Amino acid sequence: MLSAYHLASTTYWGIPGFCIAWLLFLTAVGLFGMLIWRRYLLIRAGQPDPRFHDIPKRVKDLIVYGLVQKRQPRYLVSGAIHLMIFWGFVVLSIRTIDLVTQGLQLPVMVPLLSSGFGTLYEIAKDLFELLVLVACVGAAFYRAIRRPDRYQGSHSMDAYLILSMISALMVTDILFEGSVYLADGAGPSPAWLPAAGLAGALLSGMETSSLLTLQGVTYWVHLVILYVFLNLLPLGKHFHVITALPNVFLKKTQKGSLKPARWGVEDFETLESLGAEKLEDLTWKHLLDLVTCTECGRCSDNCPAHAVGRPLSPKMLTLHLRAHAYDRYPVLPSDKNSSEGKEPPKMVGDIVTPDELWSCTTCGACEEECPVFIEYIDKIVDMRRHLIESAQNPNTFNPVLMSLERNFNPLGKPNVKRADWLNEVGEIPPVKRLKAGDTVDVLYFVDSFPSFDPGFQPIAGSLVRGLAAAGVDFGILGPLEKDSGHQVRRMGEEGLFQLLMEENMETLEQINFNRIVTTDPHAFNTLKNDYPGTLKVVHYSEFFWELLQAGHLKPIKAVASGDVYTYHDPCYLGRHNGIYDSPRGILSVIPGITSVDMARCRDRSFCCGGADITLWHEIPNEKRRMASMRVEMAMAAGATVLVTACPFCQLHFEDAIKTDGLEDRIRVVDLMTLLVSTLS
Amino acid sequence: MDIIVCVKRVPETAEADIIIDSSGKDIQTDHLAFGINEWDDYAVEEAVRIKEAHGGTVTVVSLGNAEVQPVLRRTLAMGADEALLLNDPVFTGGDSYAIAKTLHAALKDKKFDLLLTGVQAGDDGYGQVGPMLGELFQLPSASMVTRIEVADEKITVTRELEGGMGENCELTLPSVLSIQTGINEPRYVSIMGLRKAKSKTLSEVGADALPISGDDLGASGALTEVASLYLPPVEKTAEMLEGDTETVSAKMMDILKKKGVVG
Repeated sequence: MLSAYHLASTTYWGIPGFCIAWLLFLTAVGLFGMLIWRRYLLIRAGQPDPRFHDIPKRVKDLIVYGLVQKRQPRYLVSGAIHLMIFWGFVVLSIRTIDLVTQGLQLPVMVPLLSSGFGTLYEIAKDLFELLVLVACVGAAFYRAIRRPDRYQGSHSMDAYLILSMISALMVTDILFEGSVYLADGAGPSPAWLPAAGLAGALLSGMETSSLLTLQGVTYWVHLVILYVFLNLLPLGKHFHVITALPNVFLKKTQKGSLKPARWGVEDFETLESLGAEKLEDLTWKHLLDLVTCTECGRCSDNCPAHAVGRPLSPKMLTLHLRAHAYDRYPVLPSDKNSSEGKEPPKMVGDIVTPDELWSCTTCGACEEECPVFIEYIDKIVDMRRHLIESAQNPNTFNPVLMSLERNFNPLGKPNVKRADWLNEVGEIPPVKRLKAGDTVDVLYFVDSFPSFDPGFQPIAGSLVRGLAAAGVDFGILGPLEKDSGHQVRRMGEEGLFQLLMEENMETLEQINFNRIVTTDPHAFNTLKNDYPGTLKVVHYSEFFWELLQAGHLKPIKAVASGDVYTYHDPCYLGRHNGIYDSPRGILSVIPGITSVDMARCRDRSFCCGGADITLWHEIPNEKRRMASMRVEMAMAAGATVLVTACPFCQLHFEDAIKTDGLEDRIRVVDLMTLLVSTLS
Repeated sequence: MDIIVCVKRVPETAEADIIIDSSGKDIQTDHLAFGINEWDDYAVEEAVRIKEAHGGTVTVVSLGNAEVQPVLRRTLAMGADEALLLNDPVFTGGDSYAIAKTLHAALKDKKFDLLLTGVQAGDDGYGQVGPMLGELFQLPSASMVTRIEVADEKITVTRELEGGMGENCELTLPSVLSIQTGINEPRYVSIMGLRKAKSKTLSEVGADALPISGDDLGASGALTEVASLYLPPVEKTAEMLEGDTETVSAKMMDILKKKGVVG
């Protein structure tokens, strides 16, 4: 590898080059250290958050999502560009260390680079310099010409500046190396070095003295750009260059769950306050999320709330919080004085509005998409907790929450009538009503809506018919069952959730059962992920797919021909719990069925509107119902029947179809009801 | 401004099955959920809002057994400063008058600017305790209050009259008001809020501690007595309208006109 040692011993205005190199190095590293310290002070201000368990999984995810960057190609063009730049950085880091240490007269890289690896490395380095250069130009064009909506509100000048600096780093190194080859009299650079070769061709015929000057200029300019670049990183969105890999390593490992009121606090009642009111109420990891955001906007691009015009954009939520965080923890202490005398803005209220928080359906599309695993749901629910605790929730929640407290269901029904649905679903086989001490194979957890809402009850009826047809030994809890608490927990009423969970756990502990089967993906999720973790819970789609595979059930009656079925992945079955194949498996064995997938399916599924806030609070500025958009997507896929495995999805879709007058073009059917209809 | 609010614990009956008990004078309650009387909830909320805007204290009073404690705890969590439970078996069987006399005895030595009750109770619905308290205290009193505006030494209230009419009255303080639903939106108190309110004072007083003769309490102090309760007779008034949308709506309009619902 060619060297710049002579530059270190060259004197500039009487000062030896290596002294200048050291001066630049120490200044840059010192400044950088100060910036990192300031950012560390911000992160340190957050609440506890345990993120060091499950190390093998974390290492694996770091490789898959951090190094291989599996999520990047979900957006093909920008993903490819990013991969080129990222791997360029990884490869070129060796070259950078080499260049810097040469100037410092610390030849630490020499042994490595003069080995056989050195030649191989030189080729790789040369290739990646060109690739990075091409990627930078591509990125700039993509940004300037394609202008995807998702970049709205991002710091584009920041992006262009950084792209120019990266390009300049590549160009200066390429010219430096080309000039070194020529000036050393070694002749034109070898043909296998594409970048140096290109530079050699460009510079051929130049006089040696000019080549030497060019060498000096490109080397020092390269160093200066490098150091400025380094110090710009912590100031803008490119801080992710430093924090993204840690952020991926520290990601949440249990999807579908919610953070407790405060990590490490067993009894939330001992807390001074519940929920996130101010920045410092967020956990340190959530603060790290803020500084890590790359502003790529993939979250908002996939956010159903954003798509229907609700006042929520996950990206802007993060950017506003980040700006707020940087105001509170400025890089220069003197910045603080500028805001003195003014009332400091409130995080919940001024920086993030209540309607932004209520807009979220907790569908998880943003988190599924984020290349650096920024968490939104935990933050949003934590801020909702503050709104609930300070009685700033929409009034329409009050009767719902009161009913849950008094009657253990959100519908205002006396809980003694919890099993009355058995009389409302037509002829069904007898159902065992479980009580303390009973033993049963399957405990069917119905939950509130399927128990009380006439629109949901038929699905529970289908489940009973299916279970009986397969000869499953099962029972229900009737009035002993309390609401699962999924909704209240996501609405932010943590205390009420704890109360409901305690009530249910007490009942469940007194009954001997092997598994719980639920009607609703939300109940399934909360029993599986929010409850203490001791319960074996399956959603009916998994359970019946097992029964079908084991031959305990045989669909024999074909569905009417001419229909095209499409399956809608409910958020809490798919994204939050990774169940995509069981429901599709059930569909696949239904005789005579033709099915297609929508363009947005599986982990890119589009939320129906949700199962909590949406039911009780009208979000202003909503241009369209999410369900209405989803029905349109189903029709675009050519479907005439939209299959759901979640009663809430069914409710929203039926509503949308009626409202949009599409009854003669598409209908909704629940997967369980569809399956049962083919049994005899 | 110091405010006292009288509240009652009542069963939730809107969606429940009502079963008359063996005495024929009361309903079975073991399957019912209980909570604060809806009207009283508005009264407590209004008191807390006035306190939040103008300062002072809010004291909540109820009459009943230990089962009333959760109701009082909730009012404390809403923002009341202290609660008083008049708890004695001799209070049972009293009518509105006996209850009003008991409350009067318990409160007559307390200083207050406003005494609030709900307009009526969701269970027996007499709507008498508020006006009776006004009379017993010999204080200005207004019922069906849907707005309170506080000025120095006096208040202006809006009363709800029939047919959407309103009436504004000025009352000097102290005064007694019975509060109508809709005057505000009562806040939701979280479970966390409820548990935090545990540290607030909830005191209990028996009949012995009250400056009132035993003859005025409970059944012996009552002027009225429930003779019997009955459920509404089941009538077959439901009629299925058949035909297309036009026919059905025409039939529906006819019926509504006949019943005088629409002109």
